[in-house]
Amino acid sequence: MSLQSDLKTELVSHLAVSDFTQVVAGTPVRDTLARMRADRQVVCLVVDEDAADESGRRQLVGIFTERDVMRRVIDAAGTLDRPVDEVMTPDPITIGPDASAADALRLMDEIHVRNLPVVDEDGELMGNMTHQAIIQYLADRYPVEVLNRPLDPEQFPRKAEGG
Amino acid sequence: MSTAATEEITLTRKDFISDQTVRWCPGCGDYSILAQMQRILPETGVPKEKTVFISGIGCSSRFPYYMNTYGIHSIHGRAPALATGLAIANPELSIWVITGDGDGLSIGGNHLLHAIRRNVNLNIVLFNNRIYGLTKGQYSPTSRPGTVTKSSPMGSVEQPLNPIAVALAAEATFVARSIDSHPQHLAAILERTAEHQGASFLEVYQNCVIFNPNEWTELSDRRNRDDSILYLEHGKHMIFGKNRDKGIRLNGFTPEVVSLDEVDLDEILVHDATSRPLASILGSMEFPDYPAAMGVIRDVRKPDYGGEMMAQVETAQAQRGAGDLNQLYLAADLWTVEEREEAEEREITPVASDLDEMPITGLDEEYIDEMEKPAEALSEFQDLLVTSTLAALEPNVPITVGKRSSLARTIRQMNRHNIGCVLVTDEEDRLIGIFTEWDVLNRVAGIVDDMAQQRISDYMTPEPLALKADLPIAQALNLMSLHGFRHLPLVDEGGSPSGIISFRDVVGYLNEALEEE
Ligand SMILES: Cc1ncc(C[n+]2csc(CCOP(=O)(O)OP(=O)(O)O)c2C)c(N)n1
Ligand code: SF4
Ligand SMILES: [Mg+2]
Repeated sequence: MSLQSDLKTELVSHLAVSDFTQVVAGTPVRDTLARMRADRQVVCLVVDEDAADESGRRQLVGIFTERDVMRRVIDAAGTLDRPVDEVMTPDPITIGPDASAADALRLMDEIHVRNLPVVDEDGELMGNMTHQAIIQYLADRYPVEVLNRPLDPEQFPRKAEGG
Repeated sequence: MSTAATEEITLTRKDFISDQTVRWCPGCGDYSILAQMQRILPETGVPKEKTVFISGIGCSSRFPYYMNTYGIHSIHGRAPALATGLAIANPELSIWVITGDGDGLSIGGNHLLHAIRRNVNLNIVLFNNRIYGLTKGQYSPTSRPGTVTKSSPMGSVEQPLNPIAVALAAEATFVARSIDSHPQHLAAILERTAEHQGASFLEVYQNCVIFNPNEWTELSDRRNRDDSILYLEHGKHMIFGKNRDKGIRLNGFTPEVVSLDEVDLDEILVHDATSRPLASILGSMEFPDYPAAMGVIRDVRKPDYGGEMMAQVETAQAQRGAGDLNQLYLAADLWTVEEREEAEEREITPVASDLDEMPITGLDEEYIDEMEKPAEALSEFQDLLVTSTLAALEPNVPITVGKRSSLARTIRQMNRHNIGCVLVTDEEDRLIGIFTEWDVLNRVAGIVDDMAQQRISDYMTPEPLALKADLPIAQALNLMSLHGFRHLPLVDEGGSPSGIISFRDVVGYLNEALEEE
């Protein structure tokens, strides 16, 4: 069985996807960074208040990540006080909770992204799909091989000796 | 206690790892419990020197050696008794009792009951692998009837104990259950166990890969486990299933599993961790008749033993003074034991050594086969995880900067090479730190004004975890899953960076390697 075929039967909604910070469009970059630090999150989803639907759900308009901090904030003087909209990636590609983990992984590879916001059919933001969800899946799926190892590999006992 | 609050010490998982060689079998579930314990303890904020692990005897009971805290590997079954004394003598300590199904429920069943019943301020974790591991695979008081082991070659005929029901019978104020193969759940429940004041009892289903490897397969199989586990949350409906389409309702006094397609939500039980009768019902739900209840089953607050008892001591002292131990000795009837003539030396009959040579008869081949049933065959995938080394991933050449580099230069390097992390080295080219995009976000952007004036060594994470290239891929996945890393540096024998690997490399390799076949 290959990794892809194993992940085919696993839905994104069954994975432990990551959390994210959320700000409304127009929030200054400085405040966005402060929020991300407080939440200890490397990803911030930007939503638009004006484009809320009938039930008040706000629409996802962009994504701002640690990558954008490197590429568009750290070296560009003055960006800190600009709205986050100017440095985010607009209209990020998203994935539905019913997509398979295999598809999510393939998509991340094809379009070279680390983050796929998970959005259900009602437009609800459910999490952020990353490689970490797959790593966690593999650890849980193969606990004997992956989880149950000592931190220091040099300490690994040579043989099973029971206690 | 006021001193601890004034100076903020931030500990990490590493601080709780001791230098002792871990002697558990490769693949044993105890590793996972250890890793999660070491992960959550820094978060509880209790200093190492105020933390004690006390255990009895068994594989599980080797736990204190591997924790860089105080610890006592004590007498078989007696950990709760020692811990009770310690908790009363020093109420400032955070005391963990680590026990097994044999240690805690066979020889130590009595001690366990009384520590729980007294509500001593302890965190008791019982590793339940339904076997005696250390003594090489005899049935235990939690083994299912029919379990074939070395000491029950025709199958156990005994009614097993249900640890949760035992704890509830002793009116435990905190009762919870988790499983080694679900690290996030385990970490969360360990934290709850630590938080509770009074006796906390946590049962962890644990895989003994050597002597009882098939015990928890249905509950640990990542693909189907959510159909077999009921995750409890106080105030929430008892809904479970991979598609959250099943629930628990009461039919008279008996719980039953119902499909949510057929039954209204208001008929489904809502978890209440303060309800004693509900705790009994949940404790009685045995897998596979019911899903296994995981999470906090009961959580109530009652005065703890040490507090109550010391309050009585204080009252007595206030009324009658501090007291004098010598006076107490002399207060009661005293008598003197007269010296006697030396007892005549008794003759000791040696134990027959020919017992060893007695042939084992009467064990059917059939039973022996049953006992030596091999564990499930490894899939090709599992095999790759443990046999392919990190070198096979053909790691990227690492981008490094010297420790005197400025922040500005380091960040320019990262952007020039379009990479998310750099390794920091000392004069001898040894790896001493790692600096990532997260560090830029967390400590630099909008915080540091003149990046050219700042040294990277003040902003990097020192002493990063690094692996050697001859280790299996599984070792890298282990660290990535425990710490949430995406990258891992590789070092050579001399400690110099020799590569950097990412999870993307792992995925690429696994997919390719399996296609070739
Ligand atoms: C007084 C005494 N009786 C019996 C033993 C043998 N013995 C050692 S460990 C053990 C049982 C351990 O079982 P458990 O607590 O389930 O630990 P595990 O190894 O499964 O983690 C027994 C019976 C002993 N060491 N001392
Ligand atoms: S005998 Fe079983 S419980 Fe003991 S270390 Fe080995 S796998 Fe773990
Ligand atoms: Mg045991």
